[in-house]
Amino acid sequence: MPGFDFSNHTRNAALHARGVPLPKATSTGTTIVGCIFEGGVVIAADTRATSGPIVADKNCEKLHYIAPQIWCAGAGTAADTEFTTALISSQLELHALSTGRKPRVVTCMTMLKQHLFRYQGHIGAYLVVAGVDPTGVGLFTVHAHGSTDKLPYVTMGSGSLAAMSVFETQWKSQMTEQEAIDLASNAIQAGIFNDLGSGSNVDVAIITKDKTTLKRGYVKPNERSKKQKSYVFKRGTTAVLNEKVITKQEISKYVTVHELEGGEPALAEKMDIDV
Amino acid sequence: MRIAPAAGHSSNYSHLQNKSLGAPSAPGVHDSLRAGVGPTVATSAATASLPDSAHPLEQRLKKWEATQDALKMEGLRRTFGISEPIRRGMELKITREGEWRPATLGATGPGVHEDILNGRDTTCSWEDIFKGDELRTLPGFHEEVEKKVRMQ
Repeated sequence: MPGFDFSNHTRNAALHARGVPLPKATSTGTTIVGCIFEGGVVIAADTRATSGPIVADKNCEKLHYIAPQIWCAGAGTAADTEFTTALISSQLELHALSTGRKPRVVTCMTMLKQHLFRYQGHIGAYLVVAGVDPTGVGLFTVHAHGSTDKLPYVTMGSGSLAAMSVFETQWKSQMTEQEAIDLASNAIQAGIFNDLGSGSNVDVAIITKDKTTLKRGYVKPNERSKKQKSYVFKRGTTAVLNEKVITKQEISKYVTVHELEGGEPALAEKMDIDV
Repeated sequence: MRIAPAAGHSSNYSHLQNKSLGAPSAPGVHDSLRAGVGPTVATSAATASLPDSAHPLEQRLKKWEATQDALKMEGLRRTFGISEPIRRGMELKITREGEWRPATLGATGPGVHEDILNGRDTTCSWEDIFKGDELRTLPGFHEEVEKKVRMQ
């Protein structure tokens, strides 16, 4: 069956009724924010991906490309945000080629909400859509069930409350670009330190009329520190039980031995790569 | 004038064919160890519209395009009269019957002309990427033509 296959649903429901636990999806228990400034919009995200209590990825990417001037931050099921944004990106490009105009943020938002509404929230993608198009600056949130919001500053994901508290106290209208970047990164850091589902670094994307700047690892507040002591075993800790020396003459009966040039690393096998 | 399909899924579903008992350990589930790999309903074109589970989303997705098309046609009928949906329906039928691509060349689903008439030529969905034919054996070109011209 093309698309989603439901043929195992009956079996899985029967197994679940007998106490077999359902598999867990990797979710990006996340903090993502977006904020409009004079002449553009900034979105930011943390970089932790979780699977239950386990950190699945310490430096994942939650800012997704949709169009050159439209980007998307995703929370929820990691695979669903990734695939949905890729799908809408393709669709928006086809639409732009068909109409011969630059894609608009509202078009992207409408496509996303119609797509997600069709799947009734079974696609767990919670998105912040931001971009600049010929009509101006756009910033929207899209929930997995297809509802949308349009606000000057938005937060989403499990750390949204911590991030929103920063916005609510420090946001003001008509900020400059640097002010907006700082505010968004502060909001993400509030999520990183106060929400268990969020962590690691801050990624920022700044979208203006002329260009988009993606700053991966804009702030890295959780750099791994150097260990105070070295725990490497000293050479000779393990006793040598047996020793056998094979000379070059001896081994060259079975294989061809080449002398390596000094400084040149040994090349086991060379692969032809199309450039 | 429905936008989304009505919830019409059944609350129970069985993969079992008639007169089959199923696996002793899991009643209601096809016993593939004893009876071999059973036919999934969705793999053949004739039964593709039948449900494959009791999941509410499945029925919704299967009826989605038909519901949307019906809504569009009803709107056209109210605006322009019955001639408009009839004309479009005829165009669609002619296009559908006039176009044929062999399955060996990857023809699954509607063709490009049908997509244009339906206004779906710039869409890209999960079905376009996960085609579900990875495990299916495609009919050969000659078999397909013979079936098409009713030689078999």
